Amino acid sequence: MLEYKNVLTTCPYCGAGCNFYLQVMNGKLIGVMPCKSHTVSQGKLCVKGWNAAEFVTSKDRLTKPLIKRGGNFAEASWDEALDTIAKKLKEHRDVDPDSIAVLSSAKCTNEENYLMMKFARVVLGTNSVDHCARLCHASTVVGLVQSFGSGAMTNSVRELEYADCILVIGSNTTEQHPLIARYILRATENGAKLIVIDPRAIPLTYFADYHLKQKPGTDVAVFNGFMNVILSDGLEDKEFIKERTEGFEELKEAVKEYTPERVEEITGIPRDKLIEAARTYAGAKRASLIYSMGITQHTTGVDNVSSSANLAMLTGNVGKESTGVNPLRGQNNVQGACDMGALPNVYSGYQSVADEKVRAKFGSAWNVELPQKPGLTVVEMMNEADKGNIKAMYIMGENPMISDPDTSHVRKGLENLEFLVVQDIFLTETAQLADVVLPATSYAEKEGTFTSTERLVQMVRKAIEPLGDSKADWEIICNLAKMMGSREFGYSSPAEIMDEIASLTPSYGGIVYDRLRSGGLHWPCPSREHTGTPYLHKEKFTRANGKGKFWGIEFKEPAELPDEEYPFTLTTGRIMFHFHTGTMTRKTELLNREVPTGYVEVAPKDAARLGLANGEFALVQTRRGQIKIKALVTERVPEGVIFIPFHFAECAANVLTNPALDPKAKIPEFKVCAAKLEKVKVS
Amino acid sequence: MSMIDNVQNLAREWLDSKEVDAIFGLKEQDGYIAPYLFTDVGELSCLVISNQYRLCYTCRPAKENILSLMLQTEPNAKIGVVVRGCEERALIELAKRGQVDLKRIKILGVACSKEDAEECRCEKPYPGNLVLGEKVEGVSGDENVNALLSKSLPERRAFWKHEFSKCIKCYGCRNVCPMCICKDCKMEQELYTETGWLPPGIPMFHFIRFYHISDRCIGCGECEKACPVDIPLLTIFKLLQKDVKDLFDYEAGMDVEQEEPLLTTLDETPMREEVMDVGV
Repeated sequence: MLEYKNVLTTCPYCGAGCNFYLQVMNGKLIGVMPCKSHTVSQGKLCVKGWNAAEFVTSKDRLTKPLIKRGGNFAEASWDEALDTIAKKLKEHRDVDPDSIAVLSSAKCTNEENYLMMKFARVVLGTNSVDHCARLCHASTVVGLVQSFGSGAMTNSVRELEYADCILVIGSNTTEQHPLIARYILRATENGAKLIVIDPRAIPLTYFADYHLKQKPGTDVAVFNGFMNVILSDGLEDKEFIKERTEGFEELKEAVKEYTPERVEEITGIPRDKLIEAARTYAGAKRASLIYSMGITQHTTGVDNVSSSANLAMLTGNVGKESTGVNPLRGQNNVQGACDMGALPNVYSGYQSVADEKVRAKFGSAWNVELPQKPGLTVVEMMNEADKGNIKAMYIMGENPMISDPDTSHVRKGLENLEFLVVQDIFLTETAQLADVVLPATSYAEKEGTFTSTERLVQMVRKAIEPLGDSKADWEIICNLAKMMGSREFGYSSPAEIMDEIASLTPSYGGIVYDRLRSGGLHWPCPSREHTGTPYLHKEKFTRANGKGKFWGIEFKEPAELPDEEYPFTLTTGRIMFHFHTGTMTRKTELLNREVPTGYVEVAPKDAARLGLANGEFALVQTRRGQIKIKALVTERVPEGVIFIPFHFAECAANVLTNPALDPKAKIPEFKVCAAKLEKVKVS
Repeated sequence: MSMIDNVQNLAREWLDSKEVDAIFGLKEQDGYIAPYLFTDVGELSCLVISNQYRLCYTCRPAKENILSLMLQTEPNAKIGVVVRGCEERALIELAKRGQVDLKRIKILGVACSKEDAEECRCEKPYPGNLVLGEKVEGVSGDENVNALLSKSLPERRAFWKHEFSKCIKCYGCRNVCPMCICKDCKMEQELYTETGWLPPGIPMFHFIRFYHISDRCIGCGECEKACPVDIPLLTIFKLLQKDVKDLFDYEAGMDVEQEEPLLTTLDETPMREEVMDVGV
């Protein structure tokens, strides 16, 4: 007789952490059904979530290991593929472990990220393990740690609904985190004031009380302007500053010069609007600040993040419900991949590699002498590959050929490698460059956990059997580690991996599958009895001395500004109907029908000047490269600014972007570079 | 014995006696409720009744009703379905359109509680074919509808414009609708709404669906519950249901033999003049 069941799981797209049921009939996926009792999604989904079953069974899925021979891929057995990889990696390891670099994946589970960082450190002997968080929120991790002591969203999503004021800067929440935008809209319907600070007119601006259009890359000046107004009006929270913070004098000194007049000159925001918005934020009983890549992807990313923390502390908007500084993380498990230590300087739970005691703890748990030398970050790996210092790479579930800045340079780096392994569910642009490709399973074919943007650890459940010969990433890593002679990878299930994570990671100490089955837990959750922490910094900050720290920060220009030759400011981002490098969404019929390819948004006056009509092709050039792309003439962008979504390989925005890095967080400046634009005839 | 015990016992009887090959109902596991096909009597202790989920929905990307898919996949099976008022109405409308064969479905009709009826703003919270439970009165009159009707036409237009401006084009309203069964959905077509834009074309993106569903909406309210931005879709459908009732003396989901007015009016019953200026 027929079998039909609904398997509850966590969405594989953004970091909102929606849950839904995968409908399974006789072992086949037949649809997606929202989960009404789930905390965030409440029976609702966005268009990507609704369509999250389709790519799973795409005919393009990788189902066999592939080995490149004479420039072409040939199918291989698992034994053959893993044997080849083990031999090659051992060769490089035995010469120099730091000639190998690993990219882990924000799409994979916590357990898989934990294993990948353990594999890099234990089996390969290098700390060069990183992942795409470097490209989205590396500045958050650094910035919020130096201000608060913890680099994650301070509050939980549902609290937004009860805020009196919400300030959104650099987040197109409606398109990037649709189910979080739900709670922003509900707050406005409850009477909350909404302040949107963004160069573009985004869907949220329609509902905003204030839309402040700053020039791209001037966020520090905007924040300092807000704080200047608040201090001159005496609207700061004096008691909070005195009791809970340090460094106030330094901040006061720094923002003194940022009068509304000067800020108007730098940012283009009319002084009166700035003053009104600042008073509105400061006057609210509970103000939530939301930000995303609009402020993190800059050479001043850390400065921007710490400035947002300054503003929240100045007004006492931290450590209470419905307040806080809330970075929205872009991927389903980018929070978890960071938490698991898939980063070159920390183990799981942000425990420092440089700390001898920490190293000894992990070393004794894993029965190995751990490497001390700090590892490389994403962009540094590509640079070193280009120089020939990185000779082998292992990439799991990432597509740097589309996602990283200056992709011509990325290609050069990857092509220069002596050995490249890519483990993925599709033959991505990156996988095509590999020597060996391993077929992994999607979220629907495995068990594990994802940690959403609000630090909520939730179950991913297996709905169907792996397609073809594909295997779950955690199984592949274990098999390879064993083949390379390690005894530290004998896990029988993801639950067992989580038990090890909990034993070594204080913030995950109380996380165990039996507890997660009935619902997620917010970390820190240090013990089995602890019920989780929806909002952070309640009585004291996580920093060592318990105080939040103000940083006096000066405005700095972006690394590359428009000039006569390249007169436009190019900024990039995502759209509702696609996700990141398009690997999953572009294999989904409905999403492709909505937006089949990329476009460049151009303001009507600029378009008129260039003789460019809507739908005509433009050539966009920067100092890195050029692309041909369809023009979308729209008032969504201000004059002098052009916007390109980065999902589309055939007109890839990242051919153009600037790999200049934030000095501390090493995040590239995706959001600002100089470009020129001209009309082209395409035959 | 409680209502749920009675339902479980009857389901067990039907399975044991082979009157049906499976029971389609709601299953509770780890505190979560979801539709499930019971074939093993041992599992029936997890069978629950809830107004959270409807057992009548279109699966996507298959674009087939779940029961229709089950009956197609298992061509000789007879399936018992735990059915509440709204689900029975949906099945009747689907049968009218040849989507499900009612002869192969055995209805275990259950009455909803007063609380459930109020929560769903349901006017008829019980099936015609009531097997278990006591009928409770449905909700008469709807506050949201009355509040809207007390506004002027320009106010109402402004209200809907604001509501549709929030739309994020998730297609959830269509996806959960038991009556949205078209393989080729007009909401996806550029003829009515330019693709790729947020919010989607006002009002056509929504109106094309309202029009399509107007004489088959059974008032389950799933569309409103699925909306991430809380567009009051049940309110608009209650107004449409009222118009269909007033103009054609027709109610969806009552009788398999009764033909839908938007199909028959052109050749049989002439449309009355008021049809042309119905405002919602």
